[in-house]
Amino acid sequence: MQVSVDKKSERKAAYLFIIPAVVLLAAFLLYPALQTVRYAFTDYNIMRPDRIKFCGFNNFIELFQDKDFWIAVKNTLHFTILVVPFQTVLALALALLISSRRKGVSIFRAAYFSPQVTSMVVVAILWTVLYNSNPNSGLLNALLVNLGMEPCGFLNDPKSAMNSIVFMSAWQGAGYQMMIFLAGLQGIPKDQYEAASIDGAGKIKSFLYVTLPGLKNVISYVIMITVIQAMKLFTQPYVMTKGGPQNATRTLVYYVYEQGFQKRNFGYACAVAAVFFVIVISLSVGMKKIIKA
Amino acid sequence: MKKRVVAAVLTAMLAGSLCVGCGQVKERVNEDGESVITVWSPTDEPAIEEWWTEKIDAFNQAHKGRIHLQREAIVRADSYAYEDKINAAITSNDLPDILFVDGPTVSVYAANEITLPLDDLFTEAEWDDFLDSSKQQNTYDGKIYAVGATESSVALFYNADMLEEAGIRIPQSKEEAWTWTEFYEAAKKLTKDGVVGTNIIMDKGEGLPYVLEQFWISNGTDLVSEDGSQADGYINSPEGVEAAEFLNSLIQGGYANIDPIQKEFHNERAATMLGGSWEVATLENDYPDLNWGITYFPVAENGILSSPTGDWAASVTKNTQDMEAAKEVLRFLFSEENVTTYAKAISKPPTRKSSYDVLTEYNEYPRSMIKEQLMETGHPRPRTPSYSVLSAEFSEAMLNIFTGVDAKEALDAAAAATDKDYNKYYAQE
Repeated sequence: MQVSVDKKSERKAAYLFIIPAVVLLAAFLLYPALQTVRYAFTDYNIMRPDRIKFCGFNNFIELFQDKDFWIAVKNTLHFTILVVPFQTVLALALALLISSRRKGVSIFRAAYFSPQVTSMVVVAILWTVLYNSNPNSGLLNALLVNLGMEPCGFLNDPKSAMNSIVFMSAWQGAGYQMMIFLAGLQGIPKDQYEAASIDGAGKIKSFLYVTLPGLKNVISYVIMITVIQAMKLFTQPYVMTKGGPQNATRTLVYYVYEQGFQKRNFGYACAVAAVFFVIVISLSVGMKKIIKA
Repeated sequence: MKKRVVAAVLTAMLAGSLCVGCGQVKERVNEDGESVITVWSPTDEPAIEEWWTEKIDAFNQAHKGRIHLQREAIVRADSYAYEDKINAAITSNDLPDILFVDGPTVSVYAANEITLPLDDLFTEAEWDDFLDSSKQQNTYDGKIYAVGATESSVALFYNADMLEEAGIRIPQSKEEAWTWTEFYEAAKKLTKDGVVGTNIIMDKGEGLPYVLEQFWISNGTDLVSEDGSQADGYINSPEGVEAAEFLNSLIQGGYANIDPIQKEFHNERAATMLGGSWEVATLENDYPDLNWGITYFPVAENGILSSPTGDWAASVTKNTQDMEAAKEVLRFLFSEENVTTYAKAISKPPTRKSSYDVLTEYNEYPRSMIKEQLMETGHPRPRTPSYSVLSAEFSEAMLNIFTGVDAKEALDAAAAATDKDYNKYYAQE
């Protein structure tokens, strides 16, 4: 009897402990999310909060016929599909370099991690300068010209703008995943490497048959969070390109901002956000299933 | 037991902090019984920030016990960050009493009943002292919705040494202003050794319609119809397309940069620049060694002489609870004396004619030319409730044209988006 009373009171305490988190989540996540869904069915113009009218599925019908929306979907997927493998491989490579106990490794660790602690806005402005299309002022183009190559338009060329953002985003973001990989690498028991070397495995073989299997869970976690982060791409196009040139970097989240705040079609923006939410959730669930299988 | 107490305390603290966060009501009357009037305006350079501190102190001294004036300086950053903040405040009904807005957005806020009419702010005789360009910009639907202290203009700045070396004629009167062809030929001739012929503003934001709309006006059209209700047939008219193609020819020829460095003209990397009137002071103060001059805004062949105008202005918002106090603040801020001192501090031409009697520098070159353009060739930006959409669409269209999209196609898209917004929200009113 005594035991079950204890359990009961423990359960009560447990509920009390989760209340703060639940309250916060409800106030700042659940409530706004539900409001978004509600507004998605209205003609809310941000300037006229006093004149909100229910408009049924109009926003969604318009959305599926909206060319710019589909371009935003395409751009978001373009970014995600490129940045996730690139950033993950880069992070793993950096982690492998750093995990060896060579001299001065801590300097490199700090260096690789430092873009991560710099605000994305600052990084984006710096890279805008680096990517400047004029070889007289853009550092990268100056380098290209000095090497005898043609200057590249980078952010001003619709063909290269998104890829330029992919590259700088991976550079900025890899430091964080590198730290996770580093922790994963340290969790692989040393004796496995010893056993592998006794069996005659070289560096490549022990990487393929010891390191990679040992990192399996870490890799799937890293891919998962990178995909979700990549889908939310906003700061870089906002700071660097304003979604241009020629729609090349207009992502879904940027489109939500543009419609909601710049063009003040708040109801429509909510509809885009709702669809975006469904896309991200189904992607995450789908990925979880694939990883488990 | 202990756990429970800790949990309860934590919950109470969190709930408490939530209440503070959400339930905060803007202070309308302070503990001294004074009506609190809040002003939002963009963060500015030190001279202006000093002006504000000084004037707010003076106002509060003079109105002790009745009105307390306070200001929140909001970072404008580039493009549309300040507008984003206002939009958020509209949704939460949290606007300040007095809101500074950029000239062309006066009609946007007025049409949406965010700001209130101010016709009775001054007597007719006093309103007469304000420049027409400023009053025009601040009028919507026949009523005045904002009042501004300063105006602006854009002129063609030139590097005198470079023009002399190239043997290029400099217009001495507005009748002699460069035509587009002359402008193009000059830019072409001046482009060499890492120096581009000209700098057309490329801020990917409001700067583009501000400066470039004149090419439309000069060519006999505009971005929208006179009453602001239609963009199709104006922004994308044959004359408009011609204007866009002309600007694009400067970019494609390499005579102007699509990605100019900061202060390209100031650092002698561009031989000319379509620059704002405020650059006069910057060049005088920070670039004393540069041999520069200014001349008139280029004009289309047989076109209309035209130059940009418009500057920030103050409105009273619908969230004010003391209209009379807000008006008293405005009468103080836009008095003859304060307009003069403000204009002097910010180095922009004042909106009050009487201020020019005090600021005699406007009788001498180069400022006399700014004044001349302002009074004789100035055109305010379109007054349409869809201006925010028009501005963003125009910037995007120009950027698309500069990166290879057909001018007609890009401007058609801008016209369609602007008209769609107008028809959706304002047409039936």
